[in-house]
Amino acid sequence: MNMYSYIIRRLLYVIPVLLGVCFIIFIIFNVVAPDPAYVLLGRHATIEQINQLHRELGTDLPFWNQYLNTVKTAFTFDFGSSWSSKQQISEMIKAGAGPSLTLTVPLFIITFIVSISIALLVSFYRGGFIDKFVLLLSIAMMSISSLAYILFGQWFFAYKLGWFEIAGYEAGFPNFIPYTVLPVLLYLAFSWGPDTRFYRSMILDEVYQDYVRTARAKGVGELSIMFKHVLKNAMVPILTYGIIQIPMLFLGLLLAESFFGIPGLGNITIKALNTSDFPVIKAMTILSALAFIVFGVITDVLYTIVDPRMKLK
Amino acid sequence: MKMRNILLVLTLVAASVLTGCAKKQDASERVLNIVSPAEIKGFDPAMADDLYSGREIAKIYESLLAYHWLKVPYELIPNLAEAMPEISKDGITYTFKIKKGVVFQDDAAFSNGKGREIEAADFVYSLKRLADAKTTANGWWVLDGKLVGLNEWRDKYAKLPTTNYDEEVAGLKAIDKYTLQFKLAKPFPQFLYTLAMGFTSVVSKEVVAKYGQEFINHPVGTGPYILPKFDQGKRIVYTKNPTFREKFYPSDASPEYKDLLTDAGKRLPLVDKLIVNVIVESQPGWLKFNKGEIDYYSIPKDNFATAVKDNKLSAELSGKGIDLMISPMLDLTYTGFNYENKLFHNIKLRRAMSLAFDEKKSNQLFYNNTSFYAQGAIPPGIAGQNKDFKNPYKGFDLVAAKKMLSEAGYPEGKGLPEIIYDIPDSTTSRQMGEYFQKQMEQIGIKIKVSASPWPEFQAKLKKRDVQMFGAAWGADYPDAENFLQLFYGPNSSPGSNSTNYNEPAFNKQFEVATKMQDSPVRTGLYEKMNKTLAEDVVVIFNMHRQAYTVRHGWLRNYHNSDLNNDIYQYLNVDTAKKEELLKKF
Repeated sequence: MNMYSYIIRRLLYVIPVLLGVCFIIFIIFNVVAPDPAYVLLGRHATIEQINQLHRELGTDLPFWNQYLNTVKTAFTFDFGSSWSSKQQISEMIKAGAGPSLTLTVPLFIITFIVSISIALLVSFYRGGFIDKFVLLLSIAMMSISSLAYILFGQWFFAYKLGWFEIAGYEAGFPNFIPYTVLPVLLYLAFSWGPDTRFYRSMILDEVYQDYVRTARAKGVGELSIMFKHVLKNAMVPILTYGIIQIPMLFLGLLLAESFFGIPGLGNITIKALNTSDFPVIKAMTILSALAFIVFGVITDVLYTIVDPRMKLK
Repeated sequence: MKMRNILLVLTLVAASVLTGCAKKQDASERVLNIVSPAEIKGFDPAMADDLYSGREIAKIYESLLAYHWLKVPYELIPNLAEAMPEISKDGITYTFKIKKGVVFQDDAAFSNGKGREIEAADFVYSLKRLADAKTTANGWWVLDGKLVGLNEWRDKYAKLPTTNYDEEVAGLKAIDKYTLQFKLAKPFPQFLYTLAMGFTSVVSKEVVAKYGQEFINHPVGTGPYILPKFDQGKRIVYTKNPTFREKFYPSDASPEYKDLLTDAGKRLPLVDKLIVNVIVESQPGWLKFNKGEIDYYSIPKDNFATAVKDNKLSAELSGKGIDLMISPMLDLTYTGFNYENKLFHNIKLRRAMSLAFDEKKSNQLFYNNTSFYAQGAIPPGIAGQNKDFKNPYKGFDLVAAKKMLSEAGYPEGKGLPEIIYDIPDSTTSRQMGEYFQKQMEQIGIKIKVSASPWPEFQAKLKKRDVQMFGAAWGADYPDAENFLQLFYGPNSSPGSNSTNYNEPAFNKQFEVATKMQDSPVRTGLYEKMNKTLAEDVVVIFNMHRQAYTVRHGWLRNYHNSDLNNDIYQYLNVDTAKKEELLKKF
């Protein structure tokens, strides 16, 4: 099948997926979540005010009507404005995306490079001291909660040693760097472990294949085997694992944003959940679902590039 | 060789990034660095019902009246009003003259971008906007039922597509350019306090019209600082308003604040720039304060034991020139009963529960032993709180509690169903819930703690869908009425009376008291009502908290205040002292 028609077909899946997402968030918001009017109107609210607010927000409309509005939002990307801050949601997302991405993109790239490098190294020395030591270290480091890293790292590196800013954020390059280096390093400290272990097992699956033995028999050097043959063949699961994390980058890092005072998308989402700000929750959910679909397609296409044996169907 | 060069470049880049990571502070700048421990909702005065949004709004917007910065007890003074109002003998008509020459901050909404002079009509517009049902203002309650014709005007336009602001309302009139007149529906002496609240700030109709729904993010007031646009970020930077009127630091003070007169007579505001850091977590806030990056901070619960011993600061902190300020807060924490549930009509059950609650241990566990034990609803510092009154159903007494429970018809808790205790979902609230559960277990009462996220907890209270709940109330203004109204029947949920207590005799007393001007007779009535609530164990009264705040030696004129939201114009930074003290950090 032609790659373009495959992409178009996959992208058409967006329609049923979005309808499903709309239905789920609509049910959660209307059945499970509390009435936002109680939060928005504060401690002196009257019944008359609550009814008036329902009218203003459109939450007094019949369910089918509200559902149609949700679907319309999902397909037109007109998310409207936040119920609590009254800002245009598209503006809020634009404003929050920058700070989130300055945190998540470097973290993603560094973690990817570091984990793959360590995985290759320990695979090269599989069963030896380095392998065992790294395994032990990775288990130890991933056993500690992320909050502990943040609390200790902020106190020790930023406060005691004074190497980094304690908390805050300034927009624009290079202003944001002093504020994002520490959270990135702390997240790296607890995220390299599971990633390395995953990549290691993917690489080791390949190391014992016949083609590796053949290459070795033909006298190909170990480094060449690892980089030219093993890594290339292990790329399919590695790509899947890596790319599927990309949509998560847009959601921001909830804990880091909160402790380091970074005004990212994680912060916007938490704020919206705390105030039952449905339009914002709706926008973030729909965008995440879309991102997952789009990056799923990208992964499939990349498969054919890294492994020509694969065909898109 | 190539690889070595790459490594060298990478090392240099990493080193330069790392060395530039921690910024050095510039002590010569006259800048105030503060923390908001909660997210800021926005800058619409009509919507600022929480303390922290209120504090941000007061940097930009102003009301007719304000509280004197250096007086205890709180004293109202004219702000945008020229003088205190003329009040008719029947307490119905309030006539204000407003200050001449006060201008709105410059903004593109005005012709030529220059802010125009405020007029009495602007106050009429601002208060009508607060009353307009389409604004869905959470500050409407301050005017609800207070002014002649205003509720009718609100109701008339509530369901119509547009609201006619030109239609005259008898109780809210601009007599001339500088004269404003209010006619109250019934005497309500606390009305003056509401005119010092952020809700009643003056806003410009041009600005509201220009920004529409986004008005909340485009603050344009008459106040000492400007903020061109609020982007809902974590760092809000205000600069001095160049068109701020001539306003001076007070020259008189109560004895408690005599030492805060160094800047007496100086033109306000005193600092050029304000930087507000929104830091919700306490650790980064506390560390930033300890590093000298924040000028004052409320001591977090978890750092209290290391920072304060016997009401004195640790040597480490005081060695850096840091001061500790302790002051009672105008608040009340309590454990409420929902009177919609007939179980709680049994007064002996309520009394037994109150007697079984060990408040001393609670104070140690949750308030670092710093709070006052609430004997009734009215906190210390407000007329109506009788210092000598001791609530007979407070103080941990298990024997009396068990006896009372038996008299209530539930010996050792037998026959009493499990009671659900609702709390907001946070670590401290959960700990408090579990503590309450254990306390009640001692007399055989089974409690199930139910924690819900804040919006859900609020919804449960408003829908009367709770049995018992944990709550706190902070004063809107310094009058006992603001605490007693928590138990006034007509204020039942979704109003502020979450207990839904509705006792005709108490309601009647409340209605009489709220019409009375401040007098010994009214204070006597407040005391009597407070005693009734205590003896009736209308709720389990817990604590009146105290604020423990630390400030750096370079910060001048600061003191704790529950109601002075406009404090920032009075604060000053001694730059020379800051430079000297920062060497110790």
